[in-house]
Amino acid sequence: MKKTWIRLATLAMVCVASFSSAGTPALAQEFPVAERTLKNGMKVLVQSDHSIPNVSLYIFYRIGSRNERPGTTGISHFFEHMMFNGAKKYGPGELDKVMEANGGSNNAYTSQNVTVYQDWFPRSAMPLIFDIEADRIQNLSFDPQKIESERGVVASERRSSVDNDNGGLLDEQLWATAFIAHPYQWPVVGWMSDIEHWTIDDLKRHFAMGYSPSNATMVVVGDVTPEEIFQLCEKTIEPIPSHAPPPPVTTVEPPQLGERRLVVHKPAELPLLMIAYHVPPTNHPDFYAINILRTILFQGESSRMYQRLVDKDQIALDVSSSFEPAFDPTIAIIIAQPKQGIDPVKCETAIYEELQGVKRSTITDQELEKAKNIRLMEFYHQVRTINGRANTIGTYEVFDGDYKKLFEAAKNYAAVTKEDVQRVAKTYFGANNRTVAALLPENEEKAKP
Amino acid sequence: MTALKKCSFLLILLALIFPAALSAQSIHIPPHEKVVFKNGLTVLLLEKHGVPIVNFAALVKTGAAADPPGQEGLAAVTAQLLRKGTQKRTAQQFAADSDFTGGSVEADASADFSSVSGEFLTKDLARGLDLFSDALLHPVFPQAEVDKLLAQSLDGVRAAKDEARSVLGTYYDAYLFNGNGYGRTSDGDEISLTKIHRDAIVKFYETYYAPGNIILAVAGDFQTADMKKELEEVFGQWPSKPVTPVKIPVLPAVKGKKLLLVDKPEATQTYFAIGNVATAAGDPDRVAIRVVNTVFGGRFTSLLNEALRVESGLTYGAISAFDPRKAPGPFGIYSYTKNESTVQAIDMALQVLQKLHKQGITADELASAKSYIKGQYPPSLETSKQLAQIIASNEFYGLDDKEINDLEARLDAVTTAIAQQVIQKHFPTDNLVFTLIGKRSDIAAGVQKYAEKQDARVISEPGFWPPPPQK
Repeated sequence: MKKTWIRLATLAMVCVASFSSAGTPALAQEFPVAERTLKNGMKVLVQSDHSIPNVSLYIFYRIGSRNERPGTTGISHFFEHMMFNGAKKYGPGELDKVMEANGGSNNAYTSQNVTVYQDWFPRSAMPLIFDIEADRIQNLSFDPQKIESERGVVASERRSSVDNDNGGLLDEQLWATAFIAHPYQWPVVGWMSDIEHWTIDDLKRHFAMGYSPSNATMVVVGDVTPEEIFQLCEKTIEPIPSHAPPPPVTTVEPPQLGERRLVVHKPAELPLLMIAYHVPPTNHPDFYAINILRTILFQGESSRMYQRLVDKDQIALDVSSSFEPAFDPTIAIIIAQPKQGIDPVKCETAIYEELQGVKRSTITDQELEKAKNIRLMEFYHQVRTINGRANTIGTYEVFDGDYKKLFEAAKNYAAVTKEDVQRVAKTYFGANNRTVAALLPENEEKAKP
Repeated sequence: MTALKKCSFLLILLALIFPAALSAQSIHIPPHEKVVFKNGLTVLLLEKHGVPIVNFAALVKTGAAADPPGQEGLAAVTAQLLRKGTQKRTAQQFAADSDFTGGSVEADASADFSSVSGEFLTKDLARGLDLFSDALLHPVFPQAEVDKLLAQSLDGVRAAKDEARSVLGTYYDAYLFNGNGYGRTSDGDEISLTKIHRDAIVKFYETYYAPGNIILAVAGDFQTADMKKELEEVFGQWPSKPVTPVKIPVLPAVKGKKLLLVDKPEATQTYFAIGNVATAAGDPDRVAIRVVNTVFGGRFTSLLNEALRVESGLTYGAISAFDPRKAPGPFGIYSYTKNESTVQAIDMALQVLQKLHKQGITADELASAKSYIKGQYPPSLETSKQLAQIIASNEFYGLDDKEINDLEARLDAVTTAIAQQVIQKHFPTDNLVFTLIGKRSDIAAGVQKYAEKQDARVISEPGFWPPPPQK
């Protein structure tokens, strides 16, 4: 058992899934997707799968915390919550009640880049779901009382995922230090003082900025035909007028000129270490080589970092990495959970030595092949359920500009060479480009002056 | 970085543990075959094509309930060590071979059973079966690996204690069952893990990992006839031996009220659980319980979540859950709120429970819950991994395919009158066990009113409940 902290965040993004397609094995690697762009600019992608009588519907809005300003950080996420708190036809609390009474459920997540709404429902609830979605995109209400109670909910969410979660806390500090100009520096959930001070007008401005149909992509996967979805869209979604998309985020993070370090002192059983490196956005050609590098270093118990830190040196409980989809240049993060009493610097040194190893000489053929096999299995994990497929199709469409990139992923991974992996290690994973964050346990007695 | 969601973490967790799902369509489990080998191994085979993956799920019918007193964690550690060195592979070779396929072999133990699972691409099936069976049949438990894993498990418990929500259930179960039965933590604690030695691990394996004590479910992209033959070749020669079933103590519900406050001095939020000992798997009322609990605390619009989150904004989420096992398992209300509103939130949860008892559930709520369960059920039968686990677990708990195939009819048969009986029988009111993790200096005075019997611990003290004897 390796029990390390798990962030809410990680759960939300990695909430991939499970399924069974009706097709043959060959079909599962590439499946037909029907597409249509509505007159108001919303793109709709549909994939039929009749293996279970259910449907997963995702709507990706290209708006997230990168579109925010200091003072109202977290407003995208707060707005996401408000999208469940009443519109014209379905008043406060009614959306969830009606949906669940008809066998459906829903959720949503907000990242730095996107806000994504998810509905999971039996086929029979399809017309209702479209009615609900059209109602809230078009006629969201802003009930002052609901805003106040929802403010409490979000504050509780922040207390859980940041204030009472060492991983969440250190992660927040890390981004805030790695970025000095770009909006990726503030947390998606928002600073607590901003949560306490958003106004109804801030919410209205956010809605006006981000929620044009032309700023959204809908993905429907499951027991449907493209024709019936397009017809429903024509009736319910297409009449909604579009307006200007959010203004472009023009701030460019200046190059980092030297290592940055930060420390968090907190009562804790175990220390924690995170190291961030600036890397390009998701649609950059180096994306695939970086992922292969991460796989070789971090994935599985045969990975270089696990073998070194957990198995051989026995200084860490766990070592992993994260690299989430991003429109703008972002960071890849290494996370090590040192064992009790181990100075995080010891883990840091071992990590740098292993990074040095992949820079000094190329990885082996065997490692490269292993990484490609692991990526293939991951592909199936992502697409084996209707839910996972909806999320994956949408993510490729939004972050790579075309859902078809999903089907090219295997080819793009296959094209990665040992030299590519060495090159990205040298290019991005250097000392001047890193931010190091450590949480150091501080017990009550020692904390007193 | 961060992505956040509207629904609570606990709700999501609940959805994963108790997959629910629809309206007019029928819910059914795909056909599967059962064979019992001569050595007693029960084999279940379920073909599911479409995704080129095969899943193995071996359920060893003995789990942490067999841990000797003071050696809690033994079953889990034994399971986790299966792939850390076999007769033909070192731990490192095993990891390398397994990772190379992109597949995995994992193992763990709960109180009722131990489990070993494997997942491989169809193209690597031969290699996968070799790895999976190697772990199950030929582990050698190298001393160095034993030492490493025990040290990691120990720090794993400490790491979990850094996050109140990840140990709330452990403290609650421990306190509810007073350290007996399901109150013994299957992962072990800071003391018990230091008492486990290699000899005990080897003995646990040799005693309980026997073909007659194992259900092996295989689901996915294979041909049944071929798979049966291959399994016969690999597992058919495994010598049988008698295994004495370990009796899991049936513990009665707690009488009266008691409260454990676990002090976490830096906490800004109180995490709480309230409930009592409830039902075992296979309880005749289980479908009606599921319906009532869906209304009470099993979905976003549940009475609990409506009150504590939607109406009042006190929390990000409030749920209730039954956890039926071989013997009666816990029922609990679980939520969290900032220190200052601890009493307000607990009062409110108790009021919702009282209201359920007084008013029962309405016909509309009943219909809505049935529709919700039916609508959300099919995705829980979507992957070969889910199917392998479900058929193995149903076989273990003595539940047949009707459990799934008749679910809709059984749901339809639940009336408001039946719901009322279930509420009186299975949802506690006067007898309640409270477990809170939070900042003692802020909340202790306010929560005294909930129970005559008050207990206290500090989270950094080793163990969960009861406190270790003083030297």
